[in-house]
Amino acid sequence: MADQALESASSTFPDPPPFWRDFTTDKVERMESLRTRYADQTGLDSSTIIRVPDVPEDLVNLQPPAEPADGKWRLFGMELTLKDELQSLESGGVERLAPSEEELEGKHIDRAFVLKRLAKSLLLNFLELMGVMGIAPEQGADKIQDIRTLLLNLHHILNEYRPHQAREQLIALMQDQLDAKRAETAAVRAVVDKAKRVLEGLGSIELPADGSVSTPEIGARPINSVQAKNHGRVHDELRRARGRDAWGALDRDFS
Amino acid sequence: MSDRLTQLQDAVDQLAHQMVATFYYVERHHGYEVLGPKDEVRDIQEDPKKKPIDDYPPEKFQEGILELARDLIVKEQQIEYLISSLPGLTNSERDQEQSIKDLEEELKVAEAQRLEAVEEKDEVLSKLDQVLRSVRRP
Repeated sequence: MADQALESASSTFPDPPPFWRDFTTDKVERMESLRTRYADQTGLDSSTIIRVPDVPEDLVNLQPPAEPADGKWRLFGMELTLKDELQSLESGGVERLAPSEEELEGKHIDRAFVLKRLAKSLLLNFLELMGVMGIAPEQGADKIQDIRTLLLNLHHILNEYRPHQAREQLIALMQDQLDAKRAETAAVRAVVDKAKRVLEGLGSIELPADGSVSTPEIGARPINSVQAKNHGRVHDELRRARGRDAWGALDRDFS
Repeated sequence: MSDRLTQLQDAVDQLAHQMVATFYYVERHHGYEVLGPKDEVRDIQEDPKKKPIDDYPPEKFQEGILELARDLIVKEQQIEYLISSLPGLTNSERDQEQSIKDLEEELKVAEAQRLEAVEEKDEVLSKLDQVLRSVRRP
């Protein structure tokens, strides 16, 4: 047992959780049947069901555990919450220097102003810090704390701004799509117009009435199958005759 | 190229870094000052590596401070510029939702028009095809 513990402690990857033994074929099958029955009862699609309530004791490990009731859990020593939201400055133990999101009521111009003010304060505080350190270094810690608060506030406001930027990007993306679609439509229409003009141009060309331009024995295209056969025969004979002529000419040249 | 907000946050972090660097420079390279008539600068350490500070000549130190201060101000100006160019400063959330809806409608209309145009194109294409097939070779 001690050896085993030692081995598992020194192995590169940790052992799988002990419940992997529960995934036997018949248990998986029973779980599957429970799932389909539950799907029939509730009228839901069986692929969308994640958890079936009230399963037998020996099958509990075959489905994912329920959501934590209080919406919190710990992972790798960090507390996580179901609702993924920005931690407020107050809960992080930082003094808030600017009006919060609710107080702003979507007036972002004010926010830009606040940000600029914070940036200027940062610079001023650094100057003050340098001064304080020159005269009374023991009071420098307070100033550093102030700068820290300023920096945290800046970052927090910027993070609060992110949803707004995301929407703004969505708008830009949609605008791009719209422009692309319109450009495509215009391009297609232009080509169609051109093709129509070509067709009209073709229609207006008058062929000479005596047919002097056409050479029916080769150029005539078959319209129906009978003609096609005839056409093919005529064509073949013609080709053979030409071939004979060519060979004759060659023979004459080389003799 | 990241988005403006990330750029801005990076710039703020850089400003903080610059502050630390500036602080270090001042702390490390300042000279000694005689504050009273009885004061004297004692420099017992002969080995330059063991000296508590690496004092620069006053002109060089002043130049360094000037440059660092200028960099800090430039960075701060950059931050302000980035703040002014944040996207959608003038739009409220309601404006954004409205324009998203409008764009959605316009996209639908544009898509319908596009399909119409494509259909027409196919029609003309088949007509042209027909004409080409029936062309006789002169």
